[in-house]
Amino acid sequence: MARTSVREMRVLAAEERGLVALGRATLSAGAASVALVLGGTLGVVVAHVLATRRTDVYERIVAGLRADTTALLLVAGAALGATALVTGWWGYRRMPTKGSREAAISGALLGLQAVVYGGLLLAFRAGNPERFAFHFLNFDVLRGSFGQFLTGAKNTMLLATLGEAGGIAIGLMLSLLALSRRMVVRAPARAYINFFRGTPLIWQLSIFWFGIRIGLNLTITGFQAAVLVFAMNTGAYAAEVFRAGIQSIERGQLEAARGLGMSYFQAMWYAIIPQAVRRVIPPLMNEFVILIKDTALILVLGLTQSELDLYNVASQGYSASFNATFFVAAALGYLAVTLPLIRAVNVLERRLRSGLVGVAGA
Amino acid sequence: MNRDGSLVRLEDVHKWFGRNHVLRGITLSVAPGEVLVVIGPSGSGKSTLLRCINLLEEPTRGRVWFEGRDITDVRTDLNEVRTHIGIVFQAFNLFPHKTALENITLALTKVLKMRPEEARERAMEELRHVGLEHKADSYPGQLSGGQQQRVAIARALAMRPKLMLFDEVTSALDPELIGEVLEVMRRLAEEGMTMIVVTHEMGFAREVGTRVVFLDEGVILEEGRPEEIFSRPRHERTRQFLSRVLEPLH
Repeated sequence: MARTSVREMRVLAAEERGLVALGRATLSAGAASVALVLGGTLGVVVAHVLATRRTDVYERIVAGLRADTTALLLVAGAALGATALVTGWWGYRRMPTKGSREAAISGALLGLQAVVYGGLLLAFRAGNPERFAFHFLNFDVLRGSFGQFLTGAKNTMLLATLGEAGGIAIGLMLSLLALSRRMVVRAPARAYINFFRGTPLIWQLSIFWFGIRIGLNLTITGFQAAVLVFAMNTGAYAAEVFRAGIQSIERGQLEAARGLGMSYFQAMWYAIIPQAVRRVIPPLMNEFVILIKDTALILVLGLTQSELDLYNVASQGYSASFNATFFVAAALGYLAVTLPLIRAVNVLERRLRSGLVGVAGA
Repeated sequence: MNRDGSLVRLEDVHKWFGRNHVLRGITLSVAPGEVLVVIGPSGSGKSTLLRCINLLEEPTRGRVWFEGRDITDVRTDLNEVRTHIGIVFQAFNLFPHKTALENITLALTKVLKMRPEEARERAMEELRHVGLEHKADSYPGQLSGGQQQRVAIARALAMRPKLMLFDEVTSALDPELIGEVLEVMRRLAEEGMTMIVVTHEMGFAREVGTRVVFLDEGVILEEGRPEEIFSRPRHERTRQFLSRVLEPLH
């Protein structure tokens, strides 16, 4: 009896070892399939771009896409992906360990992605990549506009930073008014917030520039007007963020401060707001990312060449050349700024959640 | 001092929360040096009563006299009055973004307008008083519940109040940490501080209290010396309550 059961266990263990190996193989196949499809295509295209300097960049990109090697890589990658998908699908419930099960599932999902990406690239390749590449990947047309893009990026960041700073100041004041227990104080603050959140930013910019500025006979530049409107608009959103932040602080904090004889404003300023500010940094940074992109709306103001932001530099380049590669370059510029910011927000949120910023009494 | 010689006097104090009639006519005087313990079932209005004394809750009706002043009068400078009445809460309510020392010096510098060195000195003195001078630079999150509550007491005492209010200050503590907080309060009572203490610690009430008030459904049902209330309660409700809290296992 005992001997048989031991032998059975050995047989089972061998079978289990096979399954674990299969799970690992699925994961490798899935990863390899994605690498073939994406990395392989990219490699061939880059090789073509670097190989010769006789033709335009976009023509070399198309040549790379059109190469037989690319077709071979795409088909092979998709086929390997399909194999990983089927194996993983079949095997993941049979896997004996948590690790092998995860490997099988991940392998199958990577394989699925290889099939999808490979299919899309094959379809794109069979279509009209020349025309696409001529209009969107024609990097030769950008030659000579680097300085302008740099100025544009500088203006975008300047507009967004000044607008956000002004918006935070306006928002903090507005949030305190909006939290008042007196209706007569709350009502105008609410009206301001709702108005600026309820109308399009582009509408606010044009009305201010073509209406209010002329009506009040203000002598300000378009750039200054833009900063002002961005600050007023961001102020409305920041006010809601601050209000939520202040309301999230436990009531006992205000009571403790008042109990020590502090006035309402002392209690707010020394006890509540410092805590609320820590909690609202991530949402405020999100507002900043939004504003960076919204600076493009200054197109409604008559701005001089040196005042243009990233998007409008691209737009001008497009008008001059009728080539949309300028917009691709602008997108790369935006991403270069926003991706690190988004990453910073995520890191900060994780740190706040993990309790590195203390909570009373907890 | 009020006309009847008391430090604080409540006259027919009522409190409604919406339709909820929480305090139904409380009249109560506390003389200087007294340790008044308020007991009663949960929901009987103990905390509300305490918070009506420094007007963290505004009485809907009735008056509160403190040192001969009607502090329910709208013309009273409540911020000034509150500097003379310390309050300690169940949830400690220390400022989490400030160290133990800064928690104490904040009101000293901003409210009493003390110079920073002076405030620091007094804060250290109060921390020593509660046995925590070595934790001066710790943040509340780095302290145990008992230590946080002792800092909260030091923070209130640093204002040199004439009256201390304690709102179930040991209810949120782990059992082994209750003793250190009660010990601080006991010493404070011996030093002659006037205290009003809402608590479920019957041992403390009996030992330290000079007078006990039993609150039930918003009215004072019974009051007297601790030994009277605990050994010869006159009301059936008091008897029921005491039998439940004194022998919770039976």
